[in-house]
Amino acid sequence: MLLDFNKLGAWKWALSAICAVMSLFLLLPILFIVALSFGNSRWLIFPPPGWTLKWYEELFADPRWMGAALTSAKIGVIVMVISVALGLLASLALVRGTFKGREVLRAFFLTPMVLPVVIVAVALYAAFLRLGLNGTLLGFVIAHVIVALPFAIITITGALETFDPAIEDAAILCGASPWEARLRVTLPGIRHGLFSAAIFSFLISWDEVVLAIFMASPSLQTLPVKVWTTLRQDLTPVIAAASTLLVALTVLLMIAAAVLRKGKSE
Amino acid sequence: MTPFLHINGIRKTYGTVVATDHVELSIAEGEFMTFLGPSGSGKSTTLYILAGFQDPTAGDIKLRGQSILQTPSHKRNIGMVFQRYTLFPHLSVGENVAFPLRVRRMGQDEIAQKVKRALSLVRLDGFEDRMPAKMSGGQQQRVALARALVYDPPVLLMDEPLSALDKKLREEIQFEIRRIHQETGVTILYVTHDQEEALRLSDRIAIFNKGKIEQVGTGPELYANPATHFVADFIGDSAFLAGELAGVGQGRAGLRFADGSTVAAVPLHGLGVAGQAAELMLRPERIELTPEAGPEGASLPVTVEDLTFLGNNTTVSARTGWGAALTVRLNFGHPLAGRIARGDRLHIRWAPEAAHAFVKG
Repeated sequence: MLLDFNKLGAWKWALSAICAVMSLFLLLPILFIVALSFGNSRWLIFPPPGWTLKWYEELFADPRWMGAALTSAKIGVIVMVISVALGLLASLALVRGTFKGREVLRAFFLTPMVLPVVIVAVALYAAFLRLGLNGTLLGFVIAHVIVALPFAIITITGALETFDPAIEDAAILCGASPWEARLRVTLPGIRHGLFSAAIFSFLISWDEVVLAIFMASPSLQTLPVKVWTTLRQDLTPVIAAASTLLVALTVLLMIAAAVLRKGKSE
Repeated sequence: MTPFLHINGIRKTYGTVVATDHVELSIAEGEFMTFLGPSGSGKSTTLYILAGFQDPTAGDIKLRGQSILQTPSHKRNIGMVFQRYTLFPHLSVGENVAFPLRVRRMGQDEIAQKVKRALSLVRLDGFEDRMPAKMSGGQQQRVALARALVYDPPVLLMDEPLSALDKKLREEIQFEIRRIHQETGVTILYVTHDQEEALRLSDRIAIFNKGKIEQVGTGPELYANPATHFVADFIGDSAFLAGELAGVGQGRAGLRFADGSTVAAVPLHGLGVAGQAAELMLRPERIELTPEAGPEGASLPVTVEDLTFLGNNTTVSARTGWGAALTVRLNFGHPLAGRIARGDRLHIRWAPEAAHAFVKG
């Protein structure tokens, strides 16, 4: 290779240093919040004078926080299921279909990714006012599916494109009807893509805050919204504890997605 | 009598492109029929229409007198081995072979028994639990063959199944396919662009060119009596000497060449009249090199240009009096081999049925 890392000499150290600084720059806020969540200072003094778990105790004892976490999880799971199901159908059409305007449709499906989220939020808010969907679970789910779907479609079309359609043809000649072939052969063949799509869809909903703020009502809010509203009222380390849990689940699922990808490449 | 499988005037067009044009062919039960031709000649299209993956623009396909075109692919009960590896990656070898039986809702015991027999047929006994990714290309294609045969289809389609394998492995599996054909008696339609593969495997070969069948026949028939220039060129080696027709009659013709030399009574293919452009086909192994001129009309003077020793034969490159190139093969031990040199003036001669004339145009 032209740019072989091992042949860079002194540059090697410079590059490694830049990498380390960049990683630190990205990670520091997260490490900071994690440290604060275990610190015993109510006033968020850093470095913490001592360590405690009492903020977590407070968090788990507060039904409002628990309610928000449950709402987040509920919405995340529903969004995940809908986003993967719609993503699969859309991907089948985009990859296997031969109709006119396929590329236009593909671009259309991906527009929520490039549209500023706040615009989507305002538009949905206005529309949902008429439909009475603001502050409802359904409203949340619809809003999050809109932003999660493009990621599901990208992941699933990617998996479908690497799955040879001749394998599906073989299943059909073996006697399986086209839908049976897709269900018994294509679906298991792209299961890595489906799992990744599920994880990403859940995560997008799990830590989405802009749409959620617009959709939320005092009685129904997600964890990020609860963090946001609490932050505006008082600065308590419970927020740090909640944030840490939010990040922990995200990291866990990201690792799961990475393991899936690795499993596939082997 | 109705033929077992009748491909009746199949035509397939994509917009203005004609993929196959009036393909007409009858195949007997148990026959090994090969579609041979260059890529884009319509042989695969014909196979895919048989499989039901494409609908013909016109024509019909009848199996035992019944049209199959209205039957969807998955109900045609046809077996197929593809060019690419198509084993289901998430299923073991045993489950791959069992798949057609499972979708047919067959009983557990019967499935186990049939899978065992099918794997034994392709000599992969005991591979049931292996995953496809852990197998070589040759083994994967053998599993695909077992999967395509396990439900006893009346017809097995094979679309260049060996083209991804190296030469040695290819020959080994060709031998296996022949054996399996003899053991099962299944009717096979085999697509390839490799003439050697076609000759080695087939009972009969259909030569495809530009969407049409040029000729159908056994290997020896196609070799000895090619109907067109294309067939002569595709099966075996041959030299074509351009000239014009001089005297046509009773399926034979004479030809005159640029320097005025002539040949006579050569079997003529195509309709032509005296004076029309035509060519004489000569195969290197079917012409003889001699010091003296042969019988009038079946001999031409040539000048030796080059000699190449190739082990079992010596290939002589020569030129006719008017400068056309041709080659002659001398088997090892031929009295002339080792006694001729570049620039020697000799003669070629041939038996009356060894040369063919094709009308040009």
